[in-house]
Amino acid sequence: MNRAPRRVVITGLGVVSPLGIGKAEFWDALAAGRSGIARLESIDPDGLPTSIGGEVRGYDPKKFVPTSQRKNLKVMARDIQLAVGAARLVFEDAGLSDNRPDPQRIGIDFGASMISSELNDLAASAVRSRDAADQFDYRKWGTEAMGHMPPLWLLKYLPNMPSCHISILYDLQGPSNSITQAEAASNLAIGEAFRIIARGAADVMVAGGCDSKINPLALIRLCLLEACSRRNDAPAEACRPFDSDRDGMVAAEGAAAVMLEELEHARRRGARIYGELVGFGTGCDARPAGAALDGTGYRVALAAALRDAGMTPGALGYYNAHGAGTREGDLVEARALHDVFGDHAARIPVSAHKSGLGNAMAGCGALEFVAGLLALEHGLIPPSLNCPRPDPRCRLNVVTGTPRPLERPSFVSVNATRLGQAAALIVRKLEDA
Amino acid sequence: MKATRRRVVITGMGMVTPIGNSLDETWDGLQNGRSGVARITRFPADTLPTQIAGEVKNFRLGDFVAAPESFQHCGHNTRYAIAAASMAVRHSGLDPERIDRTRLGVYLGSGEGQQDFENFITILAHASSADGNVDVPRFNRLGMEHLHPMRELEQEPNMPSGHLAELFGAQGPNSNCLTACAASSQAIGEALEIIRRGDADVMISGGAHSMIHPLGLTGFNLLTALSTHNKNPASASRPFDGDRDGFILSEGSGVVILEELEHARRRGATIHGELIGYGSTADAFRMTDAHPEGRGAIAAIRGALADAELTPGDIQYINAHGTSTGVGDLVETVAIKAAFGAEAYRVPVSSIKSMTGHLIAAAGSVELITCLLVIRDGVIPPTINYEHPDPQCDLDYVPNTAREARVDVALSNSFGFGGQNVCLVVRRFTE
Repeated sequence: MNRAPRRVVITGLGVVSPLGIGKAEFWDALAAGRSGIARLESIDPDGLPTSIGGEVRGYDPKKFVPTSQRKNLKVMARDIQLAVGAARLVFEDAGLSDNRPDPQRIGIDFGASMISSELNDLAASAVRSRDAADQFDYRKWGTEAMGHMPPLWLLKYLPNMPSCHISILYDLQGPSNSITQAEAASNLAIGEAFRIIARGAADVMVAGGCDSKINPLALIRLCLLEACSRRNDAPAEACRPFDSDRDGMVAAEGAAAVMLEELEHARRRGARIYGELVGFGTGCDARPAGAALDGTGYRVALAAALRDAGMTPGALGYYNAHGAGTREGDLVEARALHDVFGDHAARIPVSAHKSGLGNAMAGCGALEFVAGLLALEHGLIPPSLNCPRPDPRCRLNVVTGTPRPLERPSFVSVNATRLGQAAALIVRKLEDA
Repeated sequence: MKATRRRVVITGMGMVTPIGNSLDETWDGLQNGRSGVARITRFPADTLPTQIAGEVKNFRLGDFVAAPESFQHCGHNTRYAIAAASMAVRHSGLDPERIDRTRLGVYLGSGEGQQDFENFITILAHASSADGNVDVPRFNRLGMEHLHPMRELEQEPNMPSGHLAELFGAQGPNSNCLTACAASSQAIGEALEIIRRGDADVMISGGAHSMIHPLGLTGFNLLTALSTHNKNPASASRPFDGDRDGFILSEGSGVVILEELEHARRRGATIHGELIGYGSTADAFRMTDAHPEGRGAIAAIRGALADAELTPGDIQYINAHGTSTGVGDLVETVAIKAAFGAEAYRVPVSSIKSMTGHLIAAAGSVELITCLLVIRDGVIPPTINYEHPDPQCDLDYVPNTAREARVDVALSNSFGFGGQNVCLVVRRFTE
């Protein structure tokens, strides 16, 4: 009924993460089963129930933008600075840094969160907004306080700015979108970019996501929801997806991008092809307000992605899980997997990369998608950390210890929000047509 | 080949705007040139450079849902979205219980909810020294003690799309984009593609936003983007007029029900128009300025026309982005002239932001609905406050009074901060 969609392949990876910057460092850490979670260094966590996180260390954004654009780093929140690094790396990896595609045929679709302000940008104004009785005074806000904020404050924190800065840096004049759907944002952005190329609206798309929860206000928000692990004395062991002793997620930061490209466009320029994006599906729990999640979002998303890919669960090489390490969340995910995959659910290898990366929310899907693509490239599934006592209620075949051979050259990657908004992507090694 | 793709029609519309809390009330205001801009009442704004805004008035969530208290921690974005979506679903006659709910989705272009501003700023002040150095551990303790978990969570921009899915049992595709002022148009465009491709049959789409809060107003004032015509609120938003000096922050929501044509026919739905064109581009120029020649805007207009398989001569009305900023309105005029050639002087172009102000992420959804009402009723809403022609802005902006005209095809422009551009084309429905 519809036009035959064009085929879409992945031709580049860029990653700025707690497990390294660039795909080589990232893969080495994943394959070695290292954890990127440690006691927080960039902010003082004293006073918070959590003192650990997945921080990106040793990242100098100046090295990732041209000299002429360095002044713009001042108006980029941390999330955006991480994103421009991932963008630089993805262009290099795809071999498109000096050999740019037609600007009108390349676009961007990037996930981001509501970005929390740095406290220092608001503190000088806050202290000037008090009246004699130490109450907030709107009159003083206007007359004495607001002028102490940076003039471009708003632009530094708008969630569409990762897309906009990257489009400016790399002259991406084609379709441009910014998805703000919490943990599902990256997968939705990658899936949407896939559709954009498939229908012919662009030939090449930069897709991915970024986030930084390593910010006092962002951490307070997560802690208030009692979402975070309390294993402060053992950071590397804190995030335990599908383990019986899991007790919550670990906040993190990071950005990752992939270069999606129409198959013939990639072939003509002799690009290295990591795999073909063959399936995308999204769904939502849609449970009444206050009701517990039931995994409908996962089920609808996974079933749609499989149907889209024309694949059965038995053909999947591994399940790249959302697996944030929360008590209820992991169980809901595992049950949905059993519902959709049937007998295959207990057999398919499962790895939850948040176990070492933490949860970079709007960026998590892109980071984990890149991990999946590297697994495909190396033919090895990197282990899920901290699962010595698999939760018997989850009944999953979690890859632990050392990397396991990837027997079927494909994977499915899933992420979901607190409201059960889920998105799934399926990649398969390119089969020569 | 294109003729075989699935067709997508609009079967329901709902909106909450500064000039009315329903489709009819807003439409009546638009036809009569009524401004919804007034002095800010939500918080004391008397010492800010801008003291006026387009606030939604007399809004009661209880008019739309049975248990409004269960949304008490939600932002205005979610509240307005619930109202607009409830109206749109009712208008469409759709019974979500009677359709395949995995084929019913939500795609919004919603902004963030409101920060708990006074509380947050008080905590920050108490954790900071007089010269603005922050004692982070103290901030952490005060934040854990005084901030409300749900009020913080509800600020995330994915909450409205999640809450709408809850209310209508929409288990299908669910997304939210936030491309500044283009967001809800972009959501509608991508929802169109989701149905065209067959990933859903019905999509609840549009946007909701309110930045009428102290940090929103402050942020835009620091960028000097807002009008400071505080003495005359109703005439402050003056798109394309020679005395324009910035936009007016406003708020609200617009939601449409997009439905695959055969699905709509089978249930005997009333069809209000067909969505036939979507174009998305980026300026890729500068963070703070639009491309002076309208490069991205021109490409978005051309993209939407090509998608609709139309030429400029087919367009009978343009609903402009027209925010009332000096450069923005000029660049949009330049772009329309470049994309339309000689046809530019023939097509009526109006900006309802002259009346509604700028709903930011929600603007495009309300403007697309306006295009559908123009097609339905044959009345083009005016650009009000047009008094002093700007020689560089010389198109037919439908000044000050509504105009009767048969319109079968309309174009809606939305151009976001940072250079993200979206255009949509709707057509009167014919077999």
